[in-house]
Amino acid sequence: MISITSKICIVGDFAVGKTSVTERFVNNHFSEKYLTTVGVKIDTREIECPDRGITHKLVIWDVAGSDRFDSAQLAYLRGASGYIYVADGTRANTLRSLVYLKEQLAELYDDPPAIALVNKSDLHTDWEANEEHIDVLRTQIGNVFKTSAKTGDGVEHAIDSLADRILDKIQQQS
Amino acid sequence: MSFPARVADYIQREILRDAQPLCLLIDQDYQLLEAWGDPQWCEPDDVRTGADIRESFEFLAGLPIDEPATLKFVGSRRRGVLHAHLVPEADRCFVVLLDATAEHDAVQAKQQSMNELRLMHARQNLLIQRQRDLISELVETRSELDHHRQEAERLSANKSRFIATMSHEFRTPLASIINYAELAKRPDAGSDTMQKSLETIERSARHLTSLVDAVLDDASLSAGMLELQEDAFDCYLLFDDVATMMAPLAAEKGLSFATLIDPDVPRMVYTDEVRLRQVLINLLGNAIKYTIEGGAQLVAAFKDHKLVMTIADTGPGIGEKDQQRVFEAFERGSRRGETGAGLGLTITLRLVELMGGEMSLDSIPGEGCTVTVQVPVSAHDSDSPPEEIALPTLGDDALATSPRSVLVCDDDDDMIALIEHYLHRSGYGLITSSDTSDAIAKTIKFDPDLVLMDCNVPGIGGVDAARVLRQQGYDKPIVALTASKLRDEEKDVFTRFFRKPTPMQELLREIKRLTH
Repeated sequence: MISITSKICIVGDFAVGKTSVTERFVNNHFSEKYLTTVGVKIDTREIECPDRGITHKLVIWDVAGSDRFDSAQLAYLRGASGYIYVADGTRANTLRSLVYLKEQLAELYDDPPAIALVNKSDLHTDWEANEEHIDVLRTQIGNVFKTSAKTGDGVEHAIDSLADRILDKIQQQS
Repeated sequence: MSFPARVADYIQREILRDAQPLCLLIDQDYQLLEAWGDPQWCEPDDVRTGADIRESFEFLAGLPIDEPATLKFVGSRRRGVLHAHLVPEADRCFVVLLDATAEHDAVQAKQQSMNELRLMHARQNLLIQRQRDLISELVETRSELDHHRQEAERLSANKSRFIATMSHEFRTPLASIINYAELAKRPDAGSDTMQKSLETIERSARHLTSLVDAVLDDASLSAGMLELQEDAFDCYLLFDDVATMMAPLAAEKGLSFATLIDPDVPRMVYTDEVRLRQVLINLLGNAIKYTIEGGAQLVAAFKDHKLVMTIADTGPGIGEKDQQRVFEAFERGSRRGETGAGLGLTITLRLVELMGGEMSLDSIPGEGCTVTVQVPVSAHDSDSPPEEIALPTLGDDALATSPRSVLVCDDDDDMIALIEHYLHRSGYGLITSSDTSDAIAKTIKFDPDLVLMDCNVPGIGGVDAARVLRQQGYDKPIVALTASKLRDEEKDVFTRFFRKPTPMQELLREIKRLTH
């Protein structure tokens, strides 16, 4: 098996559930307690891809929440192989924030594979975001997934799909 | 600028104590060339010379090391939180790592409070927005309720006006009937007076009947109880009949009247002739009634399997505001002071809809009114008119040709007297009864050839009386003659059902058919 390591940055507004999504994906765990991330938290998970003969190690950079990157945050993002944009369905403005973040990144860095997660689908009845908001996100970022870090719905599938696209891109380049 | 040696020494000691720095020198392949420092947050195995440093310090994976960079607060499970400084030199890079756990904790506490406050503010805004939405919904609902209330008040006012109108409309012919009946009873009434009184009574009674029919039709249509009786008929004859009926009314007012039938109209069509006739009479009646000068016309055409009938007049027309209202029950638009129940157009519209058709109104006040009725009809297979049946005179088919007896059960003495008069003259033997128990007893005893039963008679009522008779073995025709409406299962009890008022010749014809 070949081992490939990919840096994935998970970004989005504060309190949208970036750390919870990472925690669900890496440790299959969820905590109700909200704990602000300062700076960046690094975590890893390996995904076996037997059909490709690859062990894919994802190094996930859980970047502190923001609706605009400052220079310190931009330094974290250098060399990323993929982005996970996360928004909170109960706060429509967090979907709009992703569009600004995406525009800011597009000006500075290459355009690696990216997905958007509209998180907190377990609170769907309280969602402020509607299909119109999601369509805008789809146009700007591409694949959009409705996820719940709390229940785990959609998380694994979404990040697996990003990991696949990263491998596709690596294989195309080699 | 360089610090004095003692200060520089002090700073170095402080940094070494608080930040526990680790300095790594790595090459372009991330291999560790040399390391300085011995921090508590790091295991000796993590800094093996020649090893890929990304195994121990995962954050370096994918991170370019050819440019200077500062990564503040890099957290990981294994090593807490570090500040990482990349200091490239030629094809190598120094990586300086400083413990930032204490600083991180202080910043996080502050950031946590700030974010929680922002979250609370966002939730508060959401709640305020929801409250605003609810208030808007409430205002909208209230407005709808107001609208419904006004509509209910308007309908209630219409009903009240209807009752007042009906009261007046009924009283006028009733007063006429009573007064002329009294006049006819006077001993000094001559034959001319008698004849004139009877004619007036008949005319008033027919007017009353038409009023009652209108009210009942409206009630039936409202309750969805009116059923169409569809059959094939000659629509040219229908148009001709209606024209024959309307032309004298127009002539009386000095109006022109014309009927134009497009040659494409099939002669034989399949729909409810009686209801179509009612529609045309209502619309043409209105056209003539409200037109003072000019005239009215009926144009019939056939298009897309629909009979298209246009009724146009040169009357005062109907203002845009009134055009919807005239189709509502008890409304006459602005045409106050006219006689009638105010149900004509309502009934007409409902009948047209019941026939699967459409009705539209086009009018410019002062220039007349055009009503277009489109009714789907299927052209009958045979386009030739049915063989005309010469109606026999009353006497021919009403007279009993062999001795027959009829039991009449009715609690209205006048009605019994009337039926008795006609049945005797037609040659029938008659047994009369004014309540159901008497009628049942006499039927069993005398076994008449036919029972003519009113349904609203004292006792168990005509329907149950008929059921008892059947249970007791009476198998001859039982005919209902009633002013009441009967449900289908009630009608099934009887051999035939007649609704009062019924033309006497029709009743006699049926009695003869059933008894001979």
